Amino acid sequence: MSVFVAVDTGGTFTDLVMFDSEHDQVRYTKSLTTHDNPIVGIQDCIEKANVDLSRAMLFKHGTTLVINTLLERSGPAVALITTRGFRDVLEFGRGSRTEPFNLFYRRDQALVPRQCRFELAERISGTGEILVEPQRDDVLTLAEKIRQLEIRSIGVSFVNSYINPCHEHVVESWLREMLPDCYVTVGSDVTREWYEYERTSTAVANAYAGPKIGSYVEALDGRLKAKEFGGQLLVMGSNGGVLSVQHAASAPVLLVESGPVGGCIGASAYGRKLSLDNIIAFDMGGTTAKCALVKNGTFGVESTYYVGGYGRGIPIRAPVVDIVEVGAGGGSIAWLDGQKRLQIGPKSAGSYPGPVAYGRGGTEPTVTDANLILGRIDAHRFQGGEMALDVDAARLAMRDRLAAPLGYEGERGLLELANGILSIAAVKMSGAIKKITVQRGENPRDFVMFAYGGGGPLHGCDLARELGIPIVVIPPQAGIFSAIGMLLSDIRRDESRTFLRRLEIAAMPDVVRAFEEIEQIMAVRLAQDFGRLPVTFERSVEMRYVGQYHSVRIPAPECDVTRLRADFLRIYRQQYGHASETAPSEIVSLHCVASIATARPPIKGLAGDLPVVASKEKRTRSVYFSNAEGMVESAIFAREALPIGFAGSGPAVIEEYGSTTLLHPGDRFHIGELGEIRIEIAQ
Amino acid sequence: MKDRAEQHAMSLDPVKLEIIRAGLQSIPDLVEVDLMRTAFSPLIYEYKDYAVGLVDVEGRSIALAQHCLPGFLTNVLGIAVRDGIATYGIENIEPGDAILCNYAGLIGQHLNNVIMFTPVFGAAQRIVAFMAVNVHWIDIGGRVPGSCWGTDTTELIQEGLQFRSVKLYRRGKPIEEVFRIIEYNTRQPHALLGDIDAQYAACVKGRQMFEQLLVRHNQDFVFEAIQTIWRNTAAAARAAVRAAPDGVYDMNCFMDDDGIDIGKHVKLDIQVRIKGDEFIVDYSNVADQLRGPFNSGIAGGATACAYIAFKYLFAPHEPANEGSFEPVKVIIPPGKFLSASANAPIGLYQTPLATVVDAIIAAAAPALPERVAAGHFGCVGIYGFNGTNPRDGRFFGFFDTCHGGWGGSMHGDGVGPYKTIRHADNKDIPVETMEALYPLLIERFEWCQDSAGAGQFRGGLGIRKTFRLLAPCTFNCAFERFDYPPWGLNGGEPGVPQFGVIETASGDKRVVRKASSIALQQGDRIHIHTGAGGGYGPPKERNGQHVQEDVSAGYLSAEHARAVYGVVLNPDGEVDRIATDRQRSISAGQPFDIRGHIERLMEL
Repeated sequence: MSVFVAVDTGGTFTDLVMFDSEHDQVRYTKSLTTHDNPIVGIQDCIEKANVDLSRAMLFKHGTTLVINTLLERSGPAVALITTRGFRDVLEFGRGSRTEPFNLFYRRDQALVPRQCRFELAERISGTGEILVEPQRDDVLTLAEKIRQLEIRSIGVSFVNSYINPCHEHVVESWLREMLPDCYVTVGSDVTREWYEYERTSTAVANAYAGPKIGSYVEALDGRLKAKEFGGQLLVMGSNGGVLSVQHAASAPVLLVESGPVGGCIGASAYGRKLSLDNIIAFDMGGTTAKCALVKNGTFGVESTYYVGGYGRGIPIRAPVVDIVEVGAGGGSIAWLDGQKRLQIGPKSAGSYPGPVAYGRGGTEPTVTDANLILGRIDAHRFQGGEMALDVDAARLAMRDRLAAPLGYEGERGLLELANGILSIAAVKMSGAIKKITVQRGENPRDFVMFAYGGGGPLHGCDLARELGIPIVVIPPQAGIFSAIGMLLSDIRRDESRTFLRRLEIAAMPDVVRAFEEIEQIMAVRLAQDFGRLPVTFERSVEMRYVGQYHSVRIPAPECDVTRLRADFLRIYRQQYGHASETAPSEIVSLHCVASIATARPPIKGLAGDLPVVASKEKRTRSVYFSNAEGMVESAIFAREALPIGFAGSGPAVIEEYGSTTLLHPGDRFHIGELGEIRIEIAQ
Repeated sequence: MKDRAEQHAMSLDPVKLEIIRAGLQSIPDLVEVDLMRTAFSPLIYEYKDYAVGLVDVEGRSIALAQHCLPGFLTNVLGIAVRDGIATYGIENIEPGDAILCNYAGLIGQHLNNVIMFTPVFGAAQRIVAFMAVNVHWIDIGGRVPGSCWGTDTTELIQEGLQFRSVKLYRRGKPIEEVFRIIEYNTRQPHALLGDIDAQYAACVKGRQMFEQLLVRHNQDFVFEAIQTIWRNTAAAARAAVRAAPDGVYDMNCFMDDDGIDIGKHVKLDIQVRIKGDEFIVDYSNVADQLRGPFNSGIAGGATACAYIAFKYLFAPHEPANEGSFEPVKVIIPPGKFLSASANAPIGLYQTPLATVVDAIIAAAAPALPERVAAGHFGCVGIYGFNGTNPRDGRFFGFFDTCHGGWGGSMHGDGVGPYKTIRHADNKDIPVETMEALYPLLIERFEWCQDSAGAGQFRGGLGIRKTFRLLAPCTFNCAFERFDYPPWGLNGGEPGVPQFGVIETASGDKRVVRKASSIALQQGDRIHIHTGAGGGYGPPKERNGQHVQEDVSAGYLSAEHARAVYGVVLNPDGEVDRIATDRQRSISAGQPFDIRGHIERLMEL
């Protein structure tokens, strides 16, 4: 049992990483994602990498199945049961419009139409007392209606069940008995935080994705076992930890960002090993760029997620790594708006038809086309040479659609415009990084950037320069770094409870009791999934000044009033630049993270076999650099040919399968002890 | 002759322009989030009752935060800055200074809206711009808690403290005596001083970011870019108006009353004239200044409404700046309720404004049929409870506003439920929050069947929300558009307007529209009807299938389907085509009795 496997099923590719600790061997493969049945793509990877599953101990898997089911609305019909008088809450949302001047703005439709939303006479008060008890006969009547509608999945969400879930639980048990074939989700099982709309929406989303993810993980598990897999299948949660197959099947909303978090975990693991405390994890793919902060090895976790974005999406209350995303990726289209202003994205050519240079019928110039025109990527070595790029087509499209209308003439004009496209894309991406730093009271200059994904290494140094970030690190296998991150992840559960109390000594025994209760429940659930293993708990609280609405997260290793107050003032001041010493503060909610360490491969081994001495072969190519105002002859390196300790300086291009690292004139790099490229940015 | 590279470095190319534009816009957008997250006042954190922006030394707006209340489009930030410069002299404004202004005679919004601004210094230590933030202060004295919520104030002085260009910070140091004046003239010093801290921090952060931008991109380039942005924005706005047909368009409607002279309608006759590239909003025939607090000054009232309507009609997706409203001309004599004098009561100035915007859009309907919708529920509909919370013996004050249905249009049924057309990303308060904090039990929160204005494309439905009181308290409300309900368009019917019903523990019911301090007992109920949107096109032309779907969802009753839409359903709930054809032919032309309809709804 010495083999570790991680598979990340993404929108275009399925990536696999395998590490064999017995033979100290690492393998990477990539296959096209098979959307009809993702298991086919996974199997293809397993075969290509020749993984011996009988020796595998852990198989970790990131999947886009949940988010796709919710985005494409491909789940089954769901019934919702609510407190009498509240079945329309799901449709009302919170009454807000994110497009201020649009008379016709519509949110995404509710997942359950009114005809399938039922009410039950029951009521818990705002302080948790029972006002009206649910009656079994009423539930029986509803169960009969649901049976007649041939609905197989049910969400249950009652007002104030965050404070007292007993009615939800009794109704759940009746429903399981009356409708044994139905998938049942109750809101308070997924989240114990207040706000009836968000919790109801979560229950419904869970009921919507549940049946599909349940049968999927079961089928995958079965397929692996058929290949003599005797280890444990774990699924990547959006909170940055893996969870059991049973847990994933009962709470699929925990998987909405199952893929992208991999990179954050990877950045965190490499950061710890390299003693880097402050990291900006920057991931650029085909359609979007994403960034997250990793401080002292941990990342922020948000408790509300919007499916398809805040603008129109439905909310889910589930822990998701705090990621800011912006519509700028390799496939993002450059276009002119009605006022002839140059815009980049958010529309993307995606992987099909893709950029003009792919020659698959794309006609609109993209970020990738601009990179190609500027010599930053090699037309013949893209994706390891698997796909030849058509530079002439890219140039023609760029000239006709953008350069000519904007008055950029000749060869020089074309290059300036292509470079301009990258500059505007950089502004968008640096805007996302500013959001995750400046808006959280941080200065990007205090951070090291980890750049990965297909486009991260190509744009990382530009962004770092723009933001004053001094060091950029390109981890090994940057193009499939998310899968590496999954391989390094631990088991993790997050629990939150709304718990409104003034911060005062008298409240502390209640706080401690509540934490102990939460931890006990988590321990029991973890033991059910994994047996008795040592669990680490981390406590924190959301706090605010009395009268405020928004809160800040304060670590609470010991529940001590003086310390909490001091930490609250310090963190609040750091984030916002001011804090009142006198205004009273309160606790809004309690949070607990439970983790169990999983066996993981040594990080150093993941870089694979690097040569001891650099190859003598010298290649160069002309690459455009804005700070040189033109094409510059630049050194080209193959990453796998660079030994640890190798050092050099820009202008240079380091190529590997799946990504390209670009160093500007003056930037210096060396290959670090873990095989990472470490770049010092010339300021 | 300079070489090309040098020449290029000296000029503003399209790429540099976009980079500077993005940089400018990101400043108020980033700052606004801090303001919202640190706010003590629900008016800030939930209603986004603030404006954040950069203005130049002449008060022209460079960039405004995009997600604050649309009602703040008019450049009151610039007006405050000009008054500050006139008062102190620009040579006496120093780095780190902050100046306050809520002078009603200029700003024209209720006194709670206090603008603060700080100078941005550029090259040669000269002031080049100001970072300005307008925030709703939670309580600024006056007759009633919250200062601006009284429905029956008759003088501005009853509504709080007024600052006409007063320095609050000098060279980065707070001026303690001004702070003391504020602290001892508010009912909520903790919350207010906290919000003022946040307001100043926002000014400082925005100033720093702008100063960095000036250094990074070269001050001359930045200001050249700003000029270009204004010029291009104005040109685009003028081109959009030119594309609309010239003409004179009228909308004649009215509001219920001013809270003092109950039942005396407030005339709202508005003329829109489109002439070449000018969009003229003529308010000459609206009601004169009112005795009650529903007035606004010209900037906060007449101009703001014209701008909001203009943006809905012509440039819904562009961030606003000084060039955005160049084609808009506002005509209004002084002394109207939307151009009230400096001492007019103004506390509930925002109440009529959503209807004013709606009326301008309605006037423009014949010119821009594809960009308009029928009337929306149309009024903030503020209501609230005050009393002693039996759980902790402390005073509690709770207010809420309505979200209701919007109008149907040629694109489809009306949307909603949302807050008014002057609101945007403002979230409704969860039932669970209300019940956890206040002695209230919400018994139902649901669509109000048959409330939508009927039409080929119906309006969005209104909501019915029932509160049961768990302790005695007093109740205030300011509902509107009862006598002139949210209108239909092109043959559509009006929607059911907003109103409240008080139901005592003994079962007596009465309607409330505007009321202050009604004493209520434990066990009494308040039913709030939030209001629905008007319909578009004749109801008889609505697709029978859509009527059937509405009945099956319960948005519409079978009786209403038959009476208003002429659609007859058989016992299986399917459309009975023969009976429907007959019904649609015989009852054509019968007027819809909205009054009778509302009375039936009141009983539910």
